[in-house]
Amino acid sequence: MIHSLFLINSAADIFLEKHWKSVISRSVCDYFFEAQEKAGEPNNVPPVIRTPHHYLINIYRDKIFFVSVIQTEVPPLFVIEFLHRVAETLQDYFGECSESVIKDNVVIVYELLEEMLDNGFPLATESNILKELIKPPTILRSMVNTITGSSNVGETLPTGQLSTVPWRRAGVKYTNNEAYFDVIEEIDAIIDKSGATVCAEIQGVIDACVKLTGMPDLTLTFMNPRLLDDVSFHPCVRFKRWESERVLSFIPPDGNFRLMSYHVSAQNLVAIPIYVKQNISFFESGSSGRLDITVGPKQTMGKPVEGLVVSIHMPKVVLSVNLTATQGTQKYDTTTKVLVWDIGKLNQQKLPNLKGSLSLQSGSPKPEENPSLDIDLKIQQLAISGVKVSRLDMHGEKYKPFKGVKYITKAGKFQVRT
Amino acid sequence: MPYLSSEETVKELKRALSNPNIQSDRLRYRNYILRVIRSMTQGLDVSPLFMDMVKASATVDIVQKKLVYLYMCTYASLKPDLALLAINTLRKDCADPNPMVRGLALRNMCNFRMPGMTEYIHQPILTGLKDKASYVRRVAVLGCAKMQSLQPNAEIDATIVNELYGLLRDPDPVVMVNCLRALEEILKHEGGVVINKPIAHHLLNRLKELDSWAQGEVLTFLLRYKPRGEDELFDILSLLDGLLHSSHATVMAATLRLFLQLAAAHPAVQADALEQARGPLLATCGSQSRELRFAGLCHVQQVLRSQPAQLGVHYKRFFCGYSEPAYIKFRKMEILVELVNDENVGLVLEELRGYCTDVSPELAQAAIAAIGRIGRTYSEKCLDILTGLLGLKQEHITSAVVQTFRDLVWLCPQSTAAVCQAVEGCEESLQDSEGKQALLWLLGMHGGQITNAPYVLESHIDGLKTEMSSVVKLELLTAAVRLFLLRPAETQDMLGRLLHYCIEEESDMNVHDRALFCYRLLECGLEETRRVFQGPKSDPCMGVLTGCPTEPVNSWASKFNTLGLLGGNDVVPASSDTAASDQRGHSSQGDALAEAVDEQLSIPEEGQQSPGLSLGALLSHEAFERHWLELCVTHREALGFQGPPSASETLQAALQLVKIQTLAFSRESTKPWKAYLYTHGSGTLILAELLQDESEAGNNSTSLVVSLKQLPENKMAIQEFVSVLRTVLHTLTKDRSC
Repeated sequence: MIHSLFLINSAADIFLEKHWKSVISRSVCDYFFEAQEKAGEPNNVPPVIRTPHHYLINIYRDKIFFVSVIQTEVPPLFVIEFLHRVAETLQDYFGECSESVIKDNVVIVYELLEEMLDNGFPLATESNILKELIKPPTILRSMVNTITGSSNVGETLPTGQLSTVPWRRAGVKYTNNEAYFDVIEEIDAIIDKSGATVCAEIQGVIDACVKLTGMPDLTLTFMNPRLLDDVSFHPCVRFKRWESERVLSFIPPDGNFRLMSYHVSAQNLVAIPIYVKQNISFFESGSSGRLDITVGPKQTMGKPVEGLVVSIHMPKVVLSVNLTATQGTQKYDTTTKVLVWDIGKLNQQKLPNLKGSLSLQSGSPKPEENPSLDIDLKIQQLAISGVKVSRLDMHGEKYKPFKGVKYITKAGKFQVRT
Repeated sequence: MPYLSSEETVKELKRALSNPNIQSDRLRYRNYILRVIRSMTQGLDVSPLFMDMVKASATVDIVQKKLVYLYMCTYASLKPDLALLAINTLRKDCADPNPMVRGLALRNMCNFRMPGMTEYIHQPILTGLKDKASYVRRVAVLGCAKMQSLQPNAEIDATIVNELYGLLRDPDPVVMVNCLRALEEILKHEGGVVINKPIAHHLLNRLKELDSWAQGEVLTFLLRYKPRGEDELFDILSLLDGLLHSSHATVMAATLRLFLQLAAAHPAVQADALEQARGPLLATCGSQSRELRFAGLCHVQQVLRSQPAQLGVHYKRFFCGYSEPAYIKFRKMEILVELVNDENVGLVLEELRGYCTDVSPELAQAAIAAIGRIGRTYSEKCLDILTGLLGLKQEHITSAVVQTFRDLVWLCPQSTAAVCQAVEGCEESLQDSEGKQALLWLLGMHGGQITNAPYVLESHIDGLKTEMSSVVKLELLTAAVRLFLLRPAETQDMLGRLLHYCIEEESDMNVHDRALFCYRLLECGLEETRRVFQGPKSDPCMGVLTGCPTEPVNSWASKFNTLGLLGGNDVVPASSDTAASDQRGHSSQGDALAEAVDEQLSIPEEGQQSPGLSLGALLSHEAFERHWLELCVTHREALGFQGPPSASETLQAALQLVKIQTLAFSRESTKPWKAYLYTHGSGTLILAELLQDESEAGNNSTSLVVSLKQLPENKMAIQEFVSVLRTVLHTLTKDRSC
């Protein structure tokens, strides 16, 4: 299935390779480099590249290309999803998934790849099981390891795979029994010049961290389950009960997992938390322009908007900017032509404003296209779709677990056109 | 650490590894081994250390073992003789009490890719297949496949194959899936693993235990199984139902593919499956990962081929984000074009107009081409936008717009006047040969309506010496001759100069010969030239009305969820019709004659005074269109029926029975719904348009309206036609309500 994997950085260096069948020469990546060169920006490299003898399927994540070499017909979604799983596992193990981290932990990376695939077929990909096979490095553990000489490898085999519930290992024991659920929603929206919503939808997920002894059977009830469209669940959720009663009933895996993801696409349900008043104009003569942006709250249900960042991809001819912000810091990167205005927490009383002039390359014509604004934000304690968990019940075990639900709203692909 | 050359590093490591002091200190020893591995992954050749590494493998430390095995697998094929020394240790490990060590050793032993390995691994694999730990069995099963690939020409070991088929019943789901994978590889030359009824049912029943990857694979294997009867088929499908909603795109796509293929004979089931999977499929198109989004879009494109109308309401999901990669934007634009209907056309065009000024010229041109494609149905709105774009005076935009104009004029003759007006004055900002060709074609074909055509042509002829592209020159010759036929007084002089230059000074043989040909043709007389050069001015098929017919699901189901769908190398913006249109100017010249013959044939039929209606001669699309544009409506009447009475095909068949020919009709669920009919009756030709338009004012808004045109006029025939049409519609409506 997956013959080989190459990790390549944006400078076109292969910094890790792994072959599950026979060794394939690095030269196969030349086709990839060719495509990379043609695409210009790393984002634009097409995910599937056909070469005379192989297919190269790649994903680009965290400035690394994961390039897999395929020799036989496979479902493309399978490979793409698997590569993302590899990246997620690395992220999960090392906290981030960057070239330097991978190089530092090259041995664990190899161990992981060896366990995740055998002969090109996925073997163990659940982070639960992997973490029992290969323990993730922690500062404490690496210190203990250096002193005692013990290793990162679990000495016993994961037992869970033989239990009747394949995603949960048997004989789990905790002194503190706790179950936490994070409801995370991302708003994908495009707002047009006049402030009207072109399109908006919410992608939501419920991530869980469950540390409960034994074989608990949980039931999660929502206040308003009808809001959710396009739900998809972790395999542990009993689909029949969702269909009939709209409750989530499941025996949870141990540790962190994604319980469900959903989608709210009905436009009138998607509240847009902020508004942006912007005016970016370029003058016909004088090679200059003006910029004036104000951000204010719109539908935030009384919760503060935090981590507000506005980034603007300026046209190529904008040489420098001379701007003053009433709140936060702004920085213009002259090579990538991206203006980043980091506002932080949105002040409701005095709305943050960024104002000033842009200077263009002299002699060049006025840019045709106005840049668009990418917005990033975060609202704690609020699920913008209005989804709310009403209760969590546990059956099958005697103890009383500690329960908690956290809501958070983030901006996904949130874009304002000018 | 000071930089050491590779040789020195190897020497230093060798010294360290063979140092007994270090060997006795477990921790230091392992650190050195770690350094060997690091150097190896950096591409350094550390194969001289093989002996020392083999020694290091005899340890109880699992991490150290893993590291050494990793090293050995890399270099075993380079040093087969030394690798044999390691095998003993490995075989001993295969009998270790710790299942993890057993599995590890077995896996790595199978990974030694060197000849002659088979005899050493055969026995451990057979033992491994019967191991009590599932971890070892998993490794052993795949080991069988690896063993086979070591000696590709050897005969297939029947005992192993039987053993593997037996292990399909293993309690561990991963072992089961690995068996399938291994059998598939071993039996590659015999067509892969055989899925018979017991195996298929066994797999289906265990699907729920598997992880998502295995589910995806098993579903793909199940494609080979053909259920015996309908009962079995529907049992299988109902087992799979839930998987259509899987959170993993892989499983969803694999399930959908299986559904589509199993239910090949049941279109209703297929439609239902597509309906169920629509949500998950659309969710994939909005996924966080851009690669998944791309794959999702490719699949949506396939679904659109059969269900164009159903996704219309979701068009906003296919609007491009600013920071999305180009390959996604191209796909989204292609999809948007397919999704256009009366309700969303305004917004979609508005959106596409935004893309036309994109920084990337390829994207901008693709967006313009997309507007052009929509223009085939909604020409007015698109022409406004395209004309507006010309005002930007951007080179690549103008070129793309002119090319789009040419295609539009060719397919929708009603837009000619507007195009001819718009195209004036845009010649200055045209630089590339594609755009020039398009402009020249327009000048030649419709020069009569473009006031400054001769001047534009003249400037091109004057600049001939600097023109590099021979294709442009060929087009220029054709255009000049055509314009000469239309406006001889203004063009004669420059045509002469052009021909003279091309015949006397041109070095390109193609151009030279074409010029000679034109010259000799002109010598034969104007009539002859006209017959050769002036073909039809628009495409003979009314692409507008028919649109693309919906294809049956089965035509693409087999390609669903395969690599071919994502189309290898690059995503080409839809420019296939541009290439085709280049040919048109020349290829259509012969058609004029054929058309003339057609008409002659149809005249005597019309002349017959036959009572009632008759099918008469078949009317070609362009003949119909010509008549339709020439004639005015003689009769209009609301028929009082709610919408098209039934499936368009049924309607067509029914009308055929009463001798009314259907020329074209729109897709079933589109609004407004239109159909064009014609018939011959009482010596006249009757053309009819059936229109169901909700936007039309009036109380009886959803009723079907018929407009008739006639040649020559005959009131009786019209009455007769309308009454026949009423009867047909009435019968069909009654049928449906039963």
